[in-house]
Amino acid sequence: MAACATTYLEAGRSLNTRIDERNAELMALQAQRRRGVRTPEFAFPKHFDNSRLVKAPDPVRARQIRQFSVAVTILFSLTMLYGLQHFSAIERGYRIESEKQIREQLREENRQLRLSEAQLTQPARIDKMAREMGFAEPQPGQMVQPNSGSDAGVPVMAQATPPTAVRNSY
Amino acid sequence: MASPVRPSRNRTTAPRATPLKLARFWLICLFFLAWAIMIGCRLFWLQVVRHKEYVERAQKQQQRTFEVAPRRGVLYDRNLRELAMTVQVDSIFAVPSEIDDKQAAARALAPIVHTDPEDTQTTAEQIASRLDAGHSFAWVARRVNPETAGKVKELIASGVLKGIYFQKEFQRFYPDNEIAAQVLGYVGLDDAGLGGLELKFEPQLHGVSGRMFTAMDARRHVLGSSEREPAPGQNLVLTIDENMQFLAERALDHAMDQTHADNGTVVVQDVHTGQILALAIRPTFNPNLFRRTTPALLRNHAVSDVYEPGSVFKLVTYSAALDQHAAMPDDPIDCQGGKITLAGRVIHDNQGEHYGVIPIHQALEVSSDVAAVKLALKIGPDRFYQYIRDFGFGARTGAEMPGETRGLLRPVNRWGSSSIGSIAIGQEVGVTPIQLVTMVSTIANGGVYLPPHVLMPGQTDGSGKTPATAQPFKIGGDLPNPLPPGAHRVLSTLTAAEMRKMMEGVVLFGTGKGAQLNGYSSGGKTGTAQKVDPATHLYSKTMHIASFAGIAPVNNPVIAVAVVIDNPRGGSYYGAAVSAPVFAEVAQQVLEYLAVPHDIDLRPARPSTKQGNPVVEDASEHTGDIDALYAAVNDLPADDPLRAPPSQSAPAAQPAASPSQASTKPANTAAEAKTDATQTSAATTVTIADGKTLRVPSLIGLPVRKVIEQTAAAGLEVQITGSGTVREQAPAAGAMVAPGTKIVVRCGR
Repeated sequence: MAACATTYLEAGRSLNTRIDERNAELMALQAQRRRGVRTPEFAFPKHFDNSRLVKAPDPVRARQIRQFSVAVTILFSLTMLYGLQHFSAIERGYRIESEKQIREQLREENRQLRLSEAQLTQPARIDKMAREMGFAEPQPGQMVQPNSGSDAGVPVMAQATPPTAVRNSY
Repeated sequence: MASPVRPSRNRTTAPRATPLKLARFWLICLFFLAWAIMIGCRLFWLQVVRHKEYVERAQKQQQRTFEVAPRRGVLYDRNLRELAMTVQVDSIFAVPSEIDDKQAAARALAPIVHTDPEDTQTTAEQIASRLDAGHSFAWVARRVNPETAGKVKELIASGVLKGIYFQKEFQRFYPDNEIAAQVLGYVGLDDAGLGGLELKFEPQLHGVSGRMFTAMDARRHVLGSSEREPAPGQNLVLTIDENMQFLAERALDHAMDQTHADNGTVVVQDVHTGQILALAIRPTFNPNLFRRTTPALLRNHAVSDVYEPGSVFKLVTYSAALDQHAAMPDDPIDCQGGKITLAGRVIHDNQGEHYGVIPIHQALEVSSDVAAVKLALKIGPDRFYQYIRDFGFGARTGAEMPGETRGLLRPVNRWGSSSIGSIAIGQEVGVTPIQLVTMVSTIANGGVYLPPHVLMPGQTDGSGKTPATAQPFKIGGDLPNPLPPGAHRVLSTLTAAEMRKMMEGVVLFGTGKGAQLNGYSSGGKTGTAQKVDPATHLYSKTMHIASFAGIAPVNNPVIAVAVVIDNPRGGSYYGAAVSAPVFAEVAQQVLEYLAVPHDIDLRPARPSTKQGNPVVEDASEHTGDIDALYAAVNDLPADDPLRAPPSQSAPAAQPAASPSQASTKPANTAAEAKTDATQTSAATTVTIADGKTLRVPSLIGLPVRKVIEQTAAAGLEVQITGSGTVREQAPAAGAMVAPGTKIVVRCGR
């Protein structure tokens, strides 16, 4: 096989030449094996020409195969997509449940904190603590709230303010 | 030879064999067909005809339904500060079958969970008995605090305890403890509202329970479950301001400490909306520890109790007279030396007051009874009655609190000949503190009656979707436009303004000097009324109700305050001395808290009324017809709280009772009526248990033995003092009283 391969791959020589050479080699080999008795042997090359055997094109079959391939591919993809979605949904379901539980825990914690805040900021408690710290209630008028309206009981100095429209005309 | 025979034999046998086989075949087919039909019929019977029944049986065997409790809604004050809220806490339960030594387990748990000495359910004996009684489940302690739960968890972790588990349960907390306790109410162990707003709005607050459907196998193992989420209760926003509530309660505490009164009530109202800003009642209770309270403490005196207002009611008389143009503030009126006779009945002014002709405004300042009676006579009973009704008396105000009474007010056709005079000075009529403050608000806001509310509007329309929003109090508001349902004009704007000036005169120059504020003008009216003695059903000489109803500031009123102190002891009992200072303290602090601009000059220090201006007393001697009050009680509807003993209207001793048990019901026995009469206030002492009344027999002159026999035969009780024959009796002979009423007789020789 190696020799054939080598022969086949030899470049620059025709096929008949190579056949002749091969026949000669075989004749010589036979003579050696038969101890000098030479029997002529001939090799008749027979050529098979299959070049005219061509596969006839079948577009229907080809289309069917293509359609089948596409369908199988789509089905496979859909199956895989379904599986992916299914397992992804399960996984996300677990995550959602987990997140829900965390949310509920945080809400409950928030409620507990609100309760604690309400208990800590109850007026009676603050009043008691303030008194223990030596604070006293503000006297009437002592507490001034900047956001409140002007105090009707307090004299206010009269001020002349130019009208806005006149100021804008300058 | 044989061959010709065989065919003939074959011809004879073959036709017989084939039908026989076919018959057998068809017989077998018929058999199987019948068998199949029977099976089909049976299946049809089971699967189609009795389908529903077997499905239900299967569900009963295979499914279990667990109820999931909803979270109760939050009660907020108007600034969205939590007044009542529900959080999850641990409850401890045991699986007794997993516990080896139940007695030892109970002994180990009791010292930890038995934190409340009054809780009898967490003693070692009780825990042990529950562990012995149950096989798969037994409560150890419910709703324990985090510290207790932590200690038990440590025991479980250390391996000392087995079969002990935790279950989360909801618990209602009132973070401010006693603040507005009677308004908020409380809930029982089963999370049902049993008082106050918790009871009134139980459907909204409670929410809808969820359900968990669990499939189980024959060994009761859970195979799978589906659930319906519980719908949490609706959050409600009250009109109460937590800080104002605290200020009112603190001022009331001061008054209670000084007067040692039976109870006290302070109501603060926004005059422009009718919203209740604070409602303080003393004595009170801690709703977090509702099991330690008593029925008397649960009573909301602001809406459930009535009292004769006395001179405070003169505001109605004077308003009606001014609005009817029967008098003007500066018109003179003859007080006739402080004495007037009406239908044979003499009505006196206060002792030592003998006024002659004085202006109308001065008559109000000195609280002249004679002037009030004459003004009432001037406008006539029909118009006077209509004004009383327009001010909201004799009808429920609609404030969203359970157990509200409409008060005692008889129609004109049931008035006696002197009733107009009595009602003009606040007798023969019973009002609630919330009616009183609403009347004053009507005068303050320009003459429009606005129904009082403790719940922000638009929250109970059924949708439950409205988010809770803070609605802080705003000063200088106008009347709502359009007016809310139930609102109506009572007085003209001019009349209301004149009344405000006259009320200011009461504070500046009259009986209400104790109500003067520093930096703010104020107006109001004092009142002192005698209570009805629970034993005798007569006006007591020693028990009084001191009241004050006022507004501030006068020119642009922001708040109205009513103060009612029931039976002050150990000093003065007059409204001028007892209730007016409470008004001053509350109004001063509330106005400062609201940053209301001062409308008068500030003084360095507020003069004390005790040391400076002498307090003019305003008590009127009770000459009214007490039987009229009894008759008015009997006219009340069946669901009115005055018709039921207070101990039955608030089942504090039965915390797990259902709301229906918490509702009022008529008294049945005389013993109950007697017990209640000794515990409750004057308003409840005029309660007649049911529609049946007895006429008190005359016992004068009878020996003790006869007295006992006659009272027993009449269905009455008797209390005898002295010996000999009866000299005096109370109630008087002929009075109509409830069965079982105690008749007090004084005997002498």
